[in-house]
Amino acid sequence: MEINTREKTDVIIFDIEGEIRRSDITDITLHQLVKDQLDAGKRNILLNFQNVDFIDSFGVGEILASYISTHNLGGKLKIAKISKKLYLVFQVTMLTKVLEIFDEEEIALDSFNKDQ
Amino acid sequence: MAKNLLNRFLSRFVEIKPGEEVIASLLFLYFFLIMFPYGIIKPVRDARYLIELESIKLPFAYLSTAIIMGFVIHFYSKLQVGVKRRVLIISSLIFFTVTCFLSRQLFMREELGLIPLGFWIWANIFVVVLVTQFWILVNDVFNPREVKRLIGFFGSGGLLGGILGGVLTGYLGRDIPDELLLIAGGILIIGIFVANYIFIWQRKNKPTTDNPNSLNKERTKGQAKAGFIDCFNTVRKNYYLRLLAVVVTLTFIVATFIDYQSKTVIDMSVKRIDEYTYIFGFFHAGLYVVPFLISIFMTSNLIKSYGIRIVLLLFPLILFLCFGGIAFWPIIPFALAIKASDKSLSFSLNQYVRELLYIPVSPEVKYKAKVFIDMFLNRFAKGIGALMLLAFIFLPPDPWQNRVQIVSIIAVVFIVAWVFANLKVSKEYTNTVKQKLEVKWDRGDKVVAEKMDVDYTKLVFDTIESRDRSSVLYAMHLYDLIKQDKLTPEVRKLISYKADERKVSSLGGLFESGETTLVPETDDMLDEGVLEKEVQEIMSLDVYQEVMKGYVDKVLIDKTDETETSKMEVAKAIGLMESESPLAQRLEELLEDESPEVSKYAIESAARLKRREHVPGLIYKLHNPLTREDASAALEKYGERIVGTLSDYLGDYDEDVGLRQEVASVLARIPIQDSADLLAWELAEDNEDMENELIDALDRIRSGEPDIQVQEEVIKTKILKEIKRYYQVLIKFYDAKSKVKKPKMSEKLSEDMAASMMNIFKLLGLIYSHEDIFKAYQNIRTATKDSIDYAVELLDNILPKEIRDAVFPLIEDLPLEERVKRCRILMKAFPKI
Repeated sequence: MEINTREKTDVIIFDIEGEIRRSDITDITLHQLVKDQLDAGKRNILLNFQNVDFIDSFGVGEILASYISTHNLGGKLKIAKISKKLYLVFQVTMLTKVLEIFDEEEIALDSFNKDQ
Repeated sequence: MAKNLLNRFLSRFVEIKPGEEVIASLLFLYFFLIMFPYGIIKPVRDARYLIELESIKLPFAYLSTAIIMGFVIHFYSKLQVGVKRRVLIISSLIFFTVTCFLSRQLFMREELGLIPLGFWIWANIFVVVLVTQFWILVNDVFNPREVKRLIGFFGSGGLLGGILGGVLTGYLGRDIPDELLLIAGGILIIGIFVANYIFIWQRKNKPTTDNPNSLNKERTKGQAKAGFIDCFNTVRKNYYLRLLAVVVTLTFIVATFIDYQSKTVIDMSVKRIDEYTYIFGFFHAGLYVVPFLISIFMTSNLIKSYGIRIVLLLFPLILFLCFGGIAFWPIIPFALAIKASDKSLSFSLNQYVRELLYIPVSPEVKYKAKVFIDMFLNRFAKGIGALMLLAFIFLPPDPWQNRVQIVSIIAVVFIVAWVFANLKVSKEYTNTVKQKLEVKWDRGDKVVAEKMDVDYTKLVFDTIESRDRSSVLYAMHLYDLIKQDKLTPEVRKLISYKADERKVSSLGGLFESGETTLVPETDDMLDEGVLEKEVQEIMSLDVYQEVMKGYVDKVLIDKTDETETSKMEVAKAIGLMESESPLAQRLEELLEDESPEVSKYAIESAARLKRREHVPGLIYKLHNPLTREDASAALEKYGERIVGTLSDYLGDYDEDVGLRQEVASVLARIPIQDSADLLAWELAEDNEDMENELIDALDRIRSGEPDIQVQEEVIKTKILKEIKRYYQVLIKFYDAKSKVKKPKMSEKLSEDMAASMMNIFKLLGLIYSHEDIFKAYQNIRTATKDSIDYAVELLDNILPKEIRDAVFPLIEDLPLEERVKRCRILMKAFPKI
């Protein structure tokens, strides 16, 4: 798994590539990356799932831990461009009740502005 | 913003911020120019009435005023619907100026008839309309917190006017009693110009959210006009406003009794018109001096130190003592003392606190309520008081002391009711402020726990993931779903997707003959109840345990990566067995396995079996970010029985700090009193590396279980320490900001301040209402200026003075320079921690 970070309109975007699996983590976890951004005062986080094929239960834990850390500080963590297959799993497991998921990155970015 | 001369001068008397000085001075002057004429009009009114109609007929004056006032308010509220605030206020001033001159002409007649009564009513309409308009204007210009800070200053403008008007009447009343009305009219003309200039100033200072002196959108919307019925219904439908109406009614009924008594006493000893005007002039002027001094020097401090509740009780309690005294000793000094107390406090503290009680009322409701309560109801209450006093007409006129005594007894009854109403309204005040604040966000862990089942979600993901890895793991996950009654049609559909791509694993080979049974197809033919029963029976067989023991030994001996999947299967399988199973002992080895995948399954199984010997292994799994969350969730499932063990790790200074921080988080997931006590105990140890985690852990416990208590003394010390730290960072930030070359440093300090601020509020939430503290914090951090003011107002009502004094310089709307200045002063006075 590879994660690249960029910033757009005060939103930190993590472009994730590959699968978020326990076995694929080498040095730093997604949650740690999110925490680093929160420590730097950032409060809006967008996970770009365009190139994410699958996640395992560890990945779910990472996303939820990131969501909790962001939310506890009054921030927002959202997901964009998730595959249909993964979205279906998210729906069945009720992850969609907690996480805001958008088809397009721009729409997700707009939603952060509307939250202000 | 540098302070100008006017600001520096006003700062001696009032806490005034840069940018406020001009408009505050204008409003001071405007109130002065209303009350100066009233200081003249009132003694003329009293003198004319008493000399022509006598004190026995005072109840008629009160009653007529109440009735006429009803019509006036009806007419006024209709005007308010169609006329702009500026036009309405200026027109009112012009009307009262013209009628003031006209009154003087009427008093020139030989036969006055009912003119003194008409003048009495006119004077009451004058003061009610102009004073209410003044406070509405104040509310237009300043927000509630600003009003609270400046109210004593504005009020003292009016009182100063009252004093000068009274003194002037006292000096000139003997010689030219009626000509004084010409002076009053002349001063009102100046008032027209000042009021007009205030509106010009308002227009020039366009409303923006950053400008503290401007109207924001909400306030502009609040200028919505209202008719009389609408005003009445607004009060009727709102519990808090109804209470406020009761308070005002009782206040003015008692005020009527006081007025009646004092005038009765004076009427008994004075007979000449010039004497009346002279006495009332000086008497009123003297009575205004005390409230003026209270207003300018004491009001802000009293409200700041004791809060609205205590200040609200002060006035009725003093009157209670005076009335009690006069009931037993009906002597003139007591009657005068009552009048003096009434005027001293009703024009200062009581008036201001009543204005402050409107703080939690939204602007659009406030204007309607003020019209009904302050303009109509207070005169109506005087009418009620008058009706009661009318009964004294039928009493023998002598001795007059009997009347005073009876009025006192009735007044005491009303004062008792008034005290109760004040207590009720002050309690409701805090509740109303709370309602003005929204919860912006809940703790993330709470949201997740409420909205989803994390274990189930992870199980579904594990099931899907295992499809491609091992048919045995897949089957065990399916079995798990069945056992938990979670294999819904949706889940079946989801996990059966590409089911034919499953791989056969080693453990599957062991049960070759039974694979079709162990790995069910997810169709409707599967009898889930039978499957569950069969699996449980198989696993509890001794022979199964024996066979499995050999297999587990074989798998665990092999240290190559190839057995990873087999180890995962074994780890999962053990979790499906009974807690007493001999194989459960092998979980320890699996917990220690290098593969995080194997550890993950071992952790889950340990959480199911809840065997104590696995606890240390689970705690050490908190080290690794790949197993941390699973280990934490597993330890949470053990519940309160492992709190003691966790505390051993928490307090072990030889342990890794990172591990101890994670242990604190686990304790937070077991929200019981013992966890809170242990965390607070550790917090008292002052270990900086642990502080953030300990505070967050305690916060998590309190947010879920508000009834759990945290040692107050420990937390108070921590709060003051954290505030001191904030002050230090703020001062550093200010110094770094002024040095252009250190932007990075200011960025870092800014982050430190945000973190410190959050800790301060988390700590406050540990000993005061967690919900209230967090509502306040969230609104201070993210909301509009007005919600920040409500948040600060809420804190003002729930925090003790020592904490308020230290916290408020951090949260109040202040320019950075001013904030730093206050922090520097407070740092010097701060207790040594």
